[in-house]
Order: sequence, then C-alpha cells, then structure tokens
Amino acid sequence: MNLFRSEGHVERWLAGREAGAIVTVATLAELAQAWWGDRLEPTWRPHTREQNQAILAGVGLTGEFWRLP
Amino acid sequence: MVDAADVELRNATYATFVELGRAPSSAETAERVRGEPAAVRAGWRRLHEAHALVLDDSGELRMANPFSAVPTRHRVRAAGRSWWANCAWDAFGICAALHVDGRVESSCPDCGEALAVEVRDGRPDDESLVFHCLVPAARWWDDIVFT
Repeated sequence: MNLFRSEGHVERWLAGREAGAIVTVATLAELAQAWWGDRLEPTWRPHTREQNQAILAGVGLTGEFWRLP
Repeated sequence: MVDAADVELRNATYATFVELGRAPSSAETAERVRGEPAAVRAGWRRLHEAHALVLDDSGELRMANPFSAVPTRHRVRAAGRSWWANCAWDAFGICAALHVDGRVESSCPDCGEALAVEVRDGRPDDESLVFHCLVPAARWWDDIVFT
C-alpha cells in the first residue's frame, strides 16, 4: 500500500501485473481518519467486520476488491 | 479468543508505544501493566491471532497498527516525534490516531522520488498523489507484512 507520484507511475511500476485499486490521496486521508481515529482511545474496542466494511463504504470504497473476509 | 483483559493489555501497549515513541518490549509492557513478561507475550499472541497487533518471529511487536516497530518506506513527523508507518494508509492513520497535524514522508516505488504531504485537520495539502492498494481486502491478512 504505497503512495505514487501519479497513476502513470503506478502503471509503470506494475509492468503488466494486474492492478489493485487506485485511490486519491484525499480519499486515503479520509479513510485513515475513520479507520484509525479511535485507535488510541482508552475505551477502544475491536471493530467488527461490519463496522470496517461500513467505513470503507463511507468513503466510496465498495465492490469486490474492498469486500472484507 | 480475545477477552476484556487482552483488550486492556492492547490499550496499555498502544499507550506505552506513544509515550516512548517506539515499540515497547514485552518486558517494558509487563512493567507498565505490573504483570509478568510471559503473560504479556501470551496476551500479545492472542491479540496477534485476532489481528489486533502483529508480532515478529521472536514474539515481540512488529506492528501496532498504524505504527510500525521497524523502519519502513513511510515516515511520519507528528506530535514532536518521528514515527514509522506500516504503509501509506497507516501513515495518514498515525496523524488520525494521534489527532494531530503532521507530515507524511514516503517515496514513489516507481521512480524513487521523495514524496511529502502535510496533513492539516486530516486533509492532505497535495492532492496530486495517488494511493495504490495491490492486494484485495479479502486477502490483506494472508500476509499483512506484504500487504
């Protein structure tokens, strides 16, 4: 899970391998807030799969690629 | 199976990580929770199995996600310290978890160019960059270090 200069750099780096998912850095930052924001709370409890799936969907990450096990 | 005591151990581990600015050893964590190192390692193992943290082969911390216990491509400057993140997602997650602004530093795997993003109020100042996730969500934990 890396940052790239642009989509073109991702494609070049993949060198023909199947791409995963490309996300804007703005969406990534939004996702990080929702996914990790509670991680240091003294009352933290493990997220359920459903909670995590809802976080992904909340920033527009839906479909088979983003389906948690 | 993780129980309430394991969650308390996990929360104490994370608090110690942030206080020290690095991963605590099992011995340091045992001191923090006034327990035995063997009990900490056993609790960490259950948390590892539950994907609440990640241990290395010796049973010490490898990841307290989003924090990395070892140097990586992704460095974060925040809260007056420098932190290592496990991936780009986690790099932004460190600012989110600490609830502070920060600076994410990484490099493009294609061209090697250094990349830096200032995060203010949770938002990046350079939206020209992109994030690539190679592994589908269903397989993230098959090999979390690779993911």
